[in-house]
Amino acid sequence: MDVTVDVVSETTHEVSIDDGATYADLLSAIDYSPQEVSVLVDGSPVPEDQPVAADTVQVVRLIKGG
Amino acid sequence: MSLSLDATQLDRYSRHLITDEIGPEGQATLLDSSVLVVGAGGLGAPVIQYLAAAGVGTLGVVDDDVVERSNLQRQVIHADSDVGRPKVDSAAAFVADLNPDVTVETHDRRLSPDNAAELIADYDLVVDGSDNFPTRYLLNDACRLAEVPLVNGAVYKFEGQVTTLVPDGPCYRCLFPEAPDPGTVPDCATTGVLGVLPGTIGCLQATEAVKLLVGVGDPLVGTLLSYDAMELATERVPYQQSPDCPVCGEGGIDSIAAVDYSDGCGIDDPQPNA
Repeated sequence: MDVTVDVVSETTHEVSIDDGATYADLLSAIDYSPQEVSVLVDGSPVPEDQPVAADTVQVVRLIKGG
Repeated sequence: MSLSLDATQLDRYSRHLITDEIGPEGQATLLDSSVLVVGAGGLGAPVIQYLAAAGVGTLGVVDDDVVERSNLQRQVIHADSDVGRPKVDSAAAFVADLNPDVTVETHDRRLSPDNAAELIADYDLVVDGSDNFPTRYLLNDACRLAEVPLVNGAVYKFEGQVTTLVPDGPCYRCLFPEAPDPGTVPDCATTGVLGVLPGTIGCLQATEAVKLLVGVGDPLVGTLLSYDAMELATERVPYQQSPDCPVCGEGGIDSIAAVDYSDGCGIDDPQPNA
């Protein structure tokens, strides 16, 4: 399955994953940890342990600095 | 609300007054408004500076830190002579020099679950200029329960984010359900930050605050604005209110008493709303 991963304000990746791969697996393929980002599908976050069910996702970094 | 501006105010705010969008009524609203700024650091400094200049009548400032020399590369309301001084006092002195119309209420303490509701209750709007996840989640939850609008902003190296959280829109947890484990996301003290970056993001937060107070424009509700300083590019990320959100969704919490803000800020068992 091919997935377009738009890392907000960074790079858009085209990632090929196995069937049944999770969103955590998808993040791992682009060297991100679920701890540091939120994965959005149609504007809503998806659990990292769920199988990927979208061909386009957005990845938003959690940042805290002030 | 008093619509009568004195001669000095007519001069001071003349560039607001001649706009159709703000005008004398909007300016009077600003003068009658109160905003709580949480953090008088990189983000809080420009927020305090511009809201004071705009004539927001009451500014609350929450911070328990003192000014350090390493702050001065970006925290523009503090000066070299303020090093060692409580930030809230330095902020109040800055505002007093800038605009005598503004009353600053200093809160020289850290926002905590014990004092959040009491602090927020006195203000029309809150601006988040904090530098840690527990405070960000606490502010989101407390402001939502109190139905007080919150303008969120954050910075990381050369990247910034702004979003506006209003009582009938999605909340911070609709975008970021839980905080990362402590230590997994670096802070500015570790990675560094472009000095002007919090100025840019803080000014966007101040812009949102003024818009909300006056009731003009389209605030960033349900939209995260992401800013990349290196490319001078912005990206708008829409997000939805989650029906399962433990704070603003159906059956969300009605108190922050049971939330542990020390570790992940997760909410496992939200209580039904009364």
